[in-house]
Amino acid sequence: MFLKEYIKDVYNGVTSLLKGMRKTGYYFFHTKEIITEQYPDNRDTLKLAERFRGEVVMLHDENNEHACTGCTACELACPNGTIKVITKFDMTPEGKKKKAVDTFIYHLELCTMCNLCVEACPTGAISMAQNFEHSVYDRNKLTKRLNKPGSKVREGVE
Amino acid sequence: MFSLEGITKTIQDWLFSSFSPTVALLIECAIIILLAIALFALLGLVLVLMERKVAAHIQIRLGPNRVGPGGMFQTVADTVKLIMKEGLTPDMADKFLFNLAPFIVMIVAMLLLAPIAFAKNFQIWDINIGVLYVSAVSSLSVIGILMAGWASNNKYSLLGAMRSGAQIVSYELSAGLAILSVVVLTGSLQISDIIESQKDGWWLFKGHIPVIIAFVIFLIAVTAETNRAPFDLAEAESELTAGFHTEYSGMRFAFFFLAEYINIFIVCSIGATLFLGGWMPLHIGNWESFNHLMDYIPSSVWFMGKTFFLIFLIMWFRWTFPRLRVDQLLNLEWKYLLPISLFNILLVTLIAIMGWHF
Amino acid sequence: MEAAAIIFYLISAFILGTGILAVTTRKIFRSAIWLLFSLVGIAAMYFWLQVEFIAAVQIIVYVGGIVVLIIFSIFLTQQSGKEMAKPVTRRSLFGALAVVFGLALIYSIIAQYGFAEQATRPFGVTVDAIGTQMLSTTDHGFILPFEVVSMLLLASMIGCIVIAMKNRNTNDPEQQGPAGAKLMIHADFTSTQTDKEA
Repeated sequence: MFLKEYIKDVYNGVTSLLKGMRKTGYYFFHTKEIITEQYPDNRDTLKLAERFRGEVVMLHDENNEHACTGCTACELACPNGTIKVITKFDMTPEGKKKKAVDTFIYHLELCTMCNLCVEACPTGAISMAQNFEHSVYDRNKLTKRLNKPGSKVREGVE
Repeated sequence: MFSLEGITKTIQDWLFSSFSPTVALLIECAIIILLAIALFALLGLVLVLMERKVAAHIQIRLGPNRVGPGGMFQTVADTVKLIMKEGLTPDMADKFLFNLAPFIVMIVAMLLLAPIAFAKNFQIWDINIGVLYVSAVSSLSVIGILMAGWASNNKYSLLGAMRSGAQIVSYELSAGLAILSVVVLTGSLQISDIIESQKDGWWLFKGHIPVIIAFVIFLIAVTAETNRAPFDLAEAESELTAGFHTEYSGMRFAFFFLAEYINIFIVCSIGATLFLGGWMPLHIGNWESFNHLMDYIPSSVWFMGKTFFLIFLIMWFRWTFPRLRVDQLLNLEWKYLLPISLFNILLVTLIAIMGWHF
Repeated sequence: MEAAAIIFYLISAFILGTGILAVTTRKIFRSAIWLLFSLVGIAAMYFWLQVEFIAAVQIIVYVGGIVVLIIFSIFLTQQSGKEMAKPVTRRSLFGALAVVFGLALIYSIIAQYGFAEQATRPFGVTVDAIGTQMLSTTDHGFILPFEVVSMLLLASMIGCIVIAMKNRNTNDPEQQGPAGAKLMIHADFTSTQTDKEA
């Protein structure tokens, strides 16, 4: 029946619109739902989401040791050439040559924070940090060396 | 007690006792013009800030909060910025009409202010065709939009103007019919009569369901007539950049922007007058003490409260609903609103003839 | 001179000036806008005469309706933004002659009869009175013209619906739409051939 359909149409339209207005009205009157971070003001108490990715860092322990073996898996995984691993050959006590990382170069200005390098790393040497205040006056400063000077690979990490 | 009625009467008496009638009339005109311009500026500042705050809270944001306490002077800062900006005129535009259009829109908004009763006995012109005057003059604003769209010599402007024209011309019908339903119940077009008839209750409550339907239709139609979302096809950013005011900048853009908000205020005050009793306080039947208490609130507060409630409703619409397509817009008017309001006005007439309203 | 007279002359000058501009401008859109101003001026004149209802109707019908319609048709016209060519001298000569003769005719009539005396009582008609008179069946009621005009409007509305209504004939290309769509989905050429045969 045409008239019945028509009235049903109008009823459905009005109720669905009211449903939407109920939701937005709820948000309007519940100010504690507001998710805006007033960033420079609340810098000290700022809470970032757990999965937020700011930059790539290499984890060092208290003995200035890291887990990077210089395998260059991260360099291969990076889609836009952000990472450059320069390797060297250390002499083990047995007198064998062993590949190790010399300089881990990270171009922050090229990085898209895609997390592929972290996923590619077999030893969990690198991870994503949450620091996001990267502005500098000289872009050369964005090219970083991630392994600290004098650091060496942790014992037992192959 | 403080009352605007007393002040206006004192001023009028003083003017007519100290000057000749013509001079007194001219001075009164000057005062009214000054007051109207002041009201425009104030409304522009308040409504734009209100819109941004309402939008922010609906979208779980904070909104402007940097300039002044709670962002109170944000719109003042914006206005200063707009005044400083250069007003460009496109090279191939029809320069005369291009510069005229914003003023037409503003003048129409100003003319519409005349019959609105802001408080008890505080009205610029209590014309005997009040409501008809409003619907007649508001049809003029489409001319300003069409002129702006044509004179800009820009395809987006032209498309926006045509959409706006089609929209305003078609939604005027259902807005008119919704207004007419209250006129049928009151038996008068004069604003003061309409308010007086709501002494014992507002039409929204007195007139049963048909008046509520008329109220809803009125709200939808005026939202469309003022070119606001969800009916903002005339300035749909994603399709037409900014529609009819794409080419405008600086203060002339500000005029269009201001006129939009003034028009919202005017249609909302008309809605408040027709359906919510204008400056009439809320009275409930025989609750003498309650009614007495309500009378203590000044009439201007009642009027502004109702008007701003309706403005809030319209803003709520804007930030909730997605924009309609052109065919949906015309379907809504011609297939739903118009038949419903035609049928509704029959019901209202029946109620008025049988005296079924309270 | 009284203030009312000054306002009268101002309004009349506005109406006449914009009217002349409407016929002399060579841009068609501007012509429409000047016509609009002229009509608004006439509405202002009605306000001056304190016949507010007529003034409002003037604005609704002429400004809100007819001029918007004119502007829309200008928008839909090709090359309407171009300046029109100057009229031929002969044509403008005859136009001027027509104006002169028209003025002479009107003036002769006015000179013959003169203006009526000023009305003794103020001319004020309420909207109620207009409405009642419009539907009254007494001697000077307007029920018959009112109904005839509404019949005319009804006829034009029905005409609009007939023009806008979709043709339900089987020959209508719209009706063959679904068959074509089916062809696209199934890519079944045999079925379309049978359709054609049928």
